[in-house]
Amino acid sequence: MSAGALLALTIAVPLAMLAACVSARIRDRMPTLLPLAPLPALMAAIFSNDGSTLVLPQVLLGLTLAIDRPGAMLLGTAALLWIAAGVYAGAWLRSQSNGGRFATWWLMTLTGSLGVFMAADMVSFYLFFTLVSLAAYGLVVFDDTPAARRAGALYISLAVLGEAFLLMGFVFLAVGSPDGSLLIRDAVAALPTSAWCDPALAFLILGFGLKIGLVPFHVWMPLTYTAAPIPAAAVLSGAAVKAGVIGFIRFLPFDTALTGWGELLVAAGLFSAFYGVAVGITQSNPKTVLAYSSVSQMGMLATVFGMGLVTADSGVPVAAAFYATNHILVKGGLFLALGVGMPSRVRGFWMVLLPAAVLAIGLGGLPLTGGALAKLAVKAPLGDGVVGAFAILSAIGSTLLMFHFLRRLVLSASHDSQTATSVRAALPWLVIAVGAMVLPWVLFAQAGAGPLLDALAPKELWAALWPGLIGGILAIGLWRWGYRLPHVPEGDVFAAGNSATRAARILGTLAERTDWYLRQWQMAGVLLLALTVILIGTMLTGH
Amino acid sequence: VIPDQTTANGYLLVLAIMLPVIGILLSLAAGGRYVERIAMVLLPVGLVIAAAIFGLVWRDQQSLVYIVGGWHPPLGVALRADGISAAMMLTTAIVICATGLFARGEFGQPRGSPEIRASQVFWILLLGIWSGLNTVVLGDDLFNLYVALELLTFAAVPLVSLKGYKETIKAALRYMLFALFGSVLYLLGTVLIYGAYGTLDIAMLSGRVHPEPVAWIAASLMTMGLLAKTALFPLHLWLPPAHAGAPAPGSAVLSALVVKGSFFLIVRLWFDAMPGLMNFASGQILGTLGAGAVIFGSVLALRQQRLKLLIAYSTIAQIGYLFFIFPLTAGNEPWDSVAWTGGWLQLFSHAFAKASMFMAAGLIAETLGHDRIAEFGGINRVIPITVIAFGLAGLSLMGVPPSGGFVAKWLLLLATVMEGQWWWAVVMLVGGLLAGGYVFMVLGKALGNASAPLKLATPVSRAREIVALTLALCAVLLGLVPLQPSELLQVGRPEVLGVIAR
Repeated sequence: MSAGALLALTIAVPLAMLAACVSARIRDRMPTLLPLAPLPALMAAIFSNDGSTLVLPQVLLGLTLAIDRPGAMLLGTAALLWIAAGVYAGAWLRSQSNGGRFATWWLMTLTGSLGVFMAADMVSFYLFFTLVSLAAYGLVVFDDTPAARRAGALYISLAVLGEAFLLMGFVFLAVGSPDGSLLIRDAVAALPTSAWCDPALAFLILGFGLKIGLVPFHVWMPLTYTAAPIPAAAVLSGAAVKAGVIGFIRFLPFDTALTGWGELLVAAGLFSAFYGVAVGITQSNPKTVLAYSSVSQMGMLATVFGMGLVTADSGVPVAAAFYATNHILVKGGLFLALGVGMPSRVRGFWMVLLPAAVLAIGLGGLPLTGGALAKLAVKAPLGDGVVGAFAILSAIGSTLLMFHFLRRLVLSASHDSQTATSVRAALPWLVIAVGAMVLPWVLFAQAGAGPLLDALAPKELWAALWPGLIGGILAIGLWRWGYRLPHVPEGDVFAAGNSATRAARILGTLAERTDWYLRQWQMAGVLLLALTVILIGTMLTGH
Repeated sequence: VIPDQTTANGYLLVLAIMLPVIGILLSLAAGGRYVERIAMVLLPVGLVIAAAIFGLVWRDQQSLVYIVGGWHPPLGVALRADGISAAMMLTTAIVICATGLFARGEFGQPRGSPEIRASQVFWILLLGIWSGLNTVVLGDDLFNLYVALELLTFAAVPLVSLKGYKETIKAALRYMLFALFGSVLYLLGTVLIYGAYGTLDIAMLSGRVHPEPVAWIAASLMTMGLLAKTALFPLHLWLPPAHAGAPAPGSAVLSALVVKGSFFLIVRLWFDAMPGLMNFASGQILGTLGAGAVIFGSVLALRQQRLKLLIAYSTIAQIGYLFFIFPLTAGNEPWDSVAWTGGWLQLFSHAFAKASMFMAAGLIAETLGHDRIAEFGGINRVIPITVIAFGLAGLSLMGVPPSGGFVAKWLLLLATVMEGQWWWAVVMLVGGLLAGGYVFMVLGKALGNASAPLKLATPVSRAREIVALTLALCAVLLGLVPLQPSELLQVGRPEVLGVIAR
């Protein structure tokens, strides 16, 4: 099969399944079919060549899909997570009354999430980005609890805000693009010399920063991942959030050193990286802990992007994509581990705990794990200077946070009322766990960080090990004295933002009262005459 | 540019205006019981005529002209279909036909049913509005346009009070009185123009008008009169009660089409009759009123507890975007037509989306017996197609791709950057956010679970749900229009597009 056909199927298959959901009968059976939807994406990632392109006919806006190395890495890994989470969702939805509805939102989010990795023009990128962002709302509020509704409302407001930022960023890009070309490649190549470079970058960074949860735009992450059902939290934290990562990869001009913007991203990223750890260790719900870990990890990625801009490092896209693939598998996997729902006293619990421990501590850079390879891949862009030192500190923090997560996992498992655990629920977790341990080794050669054997050199092993050891020691301290930490509500800054809601309410009341006055006859009549006079006045004086 | 002879197929223009009139006459002759059946025959014919006119203008890239009775202006009257009229007519025809199909559930006259006044009147008014709108977009003479506008207003006002409730009659009277104020101002401007230039024919005026006080005053008076009828903020006092009080198919036509009729004339006035007369400051004033409408209308939409009022305030907001055409089309660089195309696409996509929304609101109100948003929980299970229609229409209002609303917003935003008038971009983005707020406020409730078991009032037919969905899909399909200036919408434009003299 040609590469173009594979690209088309990646989008067409989930869309066809979505269309089939119109029939209520098929919709009810759809949950069991969910793992099939991402299969073409997995094949496209494996079998298509670097640079395969598909241009849709003009009637379909001439949307252009293409696959390159960073795109293929993210697409393939994300597809794997979508498959595993789909299997889990299929099993879980048997106990739910409206699985068909969940499947519909799932397929929409999936289409956007996978499509965005292949989008080569701005319109299709915006289309898929919007799809993955907005459709996820249906997954977040699926449980329809007050917490889910609150999280959903916050999520959708910020998602729409992000859309607005991006739209404006794309408009600035398009205006500066040669011959009005909407291809991302053309527009980004022309960006450094464009008159609208600064506003374009500002809006793009705001839009994508919001998607990956850069502080202070991170508030939606803890609330959303905590409220969403397990399979949804797995794909949202693992796959969907990478729409922001691919955004940075595609839209930042890494060939040119852009001073100012790079430093800004580095600062924001490092702040997020530590902020996520600091707040994360005060959380008790393991889902919330994972969410704050995402804030931290994505902050680290933003730092990598920032350094790429500072040093004009064109190797950053691939390195960052590799780092992100590891995060897809680990974070998605750990959410699935939470969903196995196995009580800790059961003998088989080690099946959950042991791989979870490897993955989790691996995120901090434990030697021989994917996390260590990911850290190695971004080592060159981060450099040996201050930023590199901060990166090591952040690795220590990550390890600490992940030890905290493991402890909360065990504690919550011992209290958990969910009793029966099916093999179907545990299987996807184990598949992703194995994937997370193996895949990074397979993909490392493509990450552009030198030969694989370097990763096994004693020097590198030690460099990866000692931050982990310090993290472990700190974790013991946290267990011992952790109760003294202040309690931070999930969504920290947002939870403190009640005064903002009050201000909004006052403004709304004010607008209502103004409207009442404006809709009085006398007022409207006076306004009509006054505006007539004003218009005549500007006409007379303006010439 | 404008042919002074009747072009081939020019008779179609007369047909488009006369067909609804014939329908009204026929139903008066045959008796009120048959008016629905007559309308059902005429609606598709009218749609075909509108599509034919659209197709011809598109194919030939040339205006269609009909000189009535062979008498040339200024003595006689000319009808002219340029690009914008052709597109407007097609939009009108589609929305009117859909409304007709939708209204059968509410105002249908099955054989053997008793005569109901509201039903008879509804169909006659619908045909009247159609004829009025076609005359507005085809007319080429400022006084004829005045007559067409009055026809439109007097067909629209009774639609508001069709149910005969006290508050709807009050709303209708409010609408009529304020519209009449507008008429007076418009007429005053027309008189001034006639006195100064001795003609009211748009094509002739464009050659005779000079930038001088009388033209400025006349243009301002006419514009304000038309603004009152368009309900542009802060002159919107009549719109919320009227559009929320009318029966659903009536609201659909009022919000989607009728307010656009007077907007169309504002464009005719500034771009065709008096090109180059507007200065920067007055363009900014119109844009500012539009910006006020976008923000104010959206905030108030967010504050509503009843769906129909929410949609009505959303109309006030969406009308605001149209007025960004004026400040953004200055100069004569190619980018000008970006704002031009964007503004018109906003008009068309809003027409489809808003008609669909009001129909959805009507279906929800029939199903539940009320339209209190807070109690919408669970309707997704009962009328999923309606909820999807509302959602798709809402996405177009928000400017989410693929939808006409997205293309419109994209082009208008491009224009703000090109013209260096970033302040309109801020308004548009905030407007999009607020629209997202009120759309998801409704969807969030509709997708949630019912707090108490739903009490269903009347079941609604699947066919009517599909009509609402079809209109929403029209708004979505407009999103497939290429992201560039449309050639069709420039047919019949003078060489220099800029409305503002530089």
